[in-house]
Amino acid sequence: MVTGFRGAVLAGVIAAVFATSFLAEPFRGGGWFWDLGNALGLLAFAGLLFQMIPVPRKRSVRRHEVLGYWVLGTAILHAFWFLAGDGTVRFYLLPGGPAHMWLGLAGLIALAVLSVLARMPDRLRVHRHYRQFRKAHRILGFVTVGMAALHVVLSGFYLPAWWQAGVLAGVLVACVSGRRYWARLAHAPAASVSGYLIIGAMACVLFLLIRDGTP
Amino acid sequence: MKWLLGALFLAGAWLVVAGLPVAGPQPDRAPRFGGGLAVLPMTFTHESHFGQPCATCHHEFADHRTGQTCMACHVTDPKAAPFLEAQFHGLCQSCHVAEHAAGRPAGPTRRCIACHLDDHGF
Repeated sequence: MVTGFRGAVLAGVIAAVFATSFLAEPFRGGGWFWDLGNALGLLAFAGLLFQMIPVPRKRSVRRHEVLGYWVLGTAILHAFWFLAGDGTVRFYLLPGGPAHMWLGLAGLIALAVLSVLARMPDRLRVHRHYRQFRKAHRILGFVTVGMAALHVVLSGFYLPAWWQAGVLAGVLVACVSGRRYWARLAHAPAASVSGYLIIGAMACVLFLLIRDGTP
Repeated sequence: MKWLLGALFLAGAWLVVAGLPVAGPQPDRAPRFGGGLAVLPMTFTHESHFGQPCATCHHEFADHRTGQTCMACHVTDPKAAPFLEAQFHGLCQSCHVAEHAAGRPAGPTRRCIACHLDDHGF
């Protein structure tokens, strides 16, 4: 379940990402299939931003790790949703495909590498020192978030106004920086998988209802 | 986990290269509409677009250039061909999306395969 304030931070990040898409043309939808697939993508992006919040994870490192697998799983589901559900999407990942699709694919691969290299015992094989690992993990996290953000912004459908990209960038910067601000919280933000799934499912359903369920 | 991710990556790559292993029509990119440009097929019927002003799509009426089908000109004209996807998405998809957002019957909006199948009559 959502664990008090810690879960509230995750809920806030998910709400901020989804709300950004509703700031302009909130009823702009592409049908339930398309919108559900992209809601999964936005959820994965929000989960990734939450994972990037710069706080010490001494006691919550296991939660961070497990949640990371679920964020990766959500991103994979987002990708396969379209690849397996629409026989035409694959042409966007062949030579000549648009940049935002290549960025999405690169971001997904980076997220997979990020997860695999952080997993014991592979982590110790690659990084002998914790500091070295932490630095590499953080840098790869920045690269992943950057590519995922560009994927969302350049695909453009849910952020039709240019300033929405600015708002999303603001949410991103608030999540990946501000170490001093985040350190002021009484509890370091952490969330359970069930919290992520429950809040994420609610966000996806709302996303669908607003875009496809309104007259 | 790395083996599972590797298998998923290979499965994804196979889906991209070979397409969906399902029965039924699947789109392919090939020269069509009388041009040499490899393009996806498209489904379109005039019957389902009754009520729309002709000149919304048929700019050649205003340009006094008639005789060819839309696609025949758009895939062979060297000035228009590079913008084929952007122009047709901009024209067709934006109208369908606007109708959907307004709560009116809109037809296909974003699902690619809803439009990109050959109807052999366009």
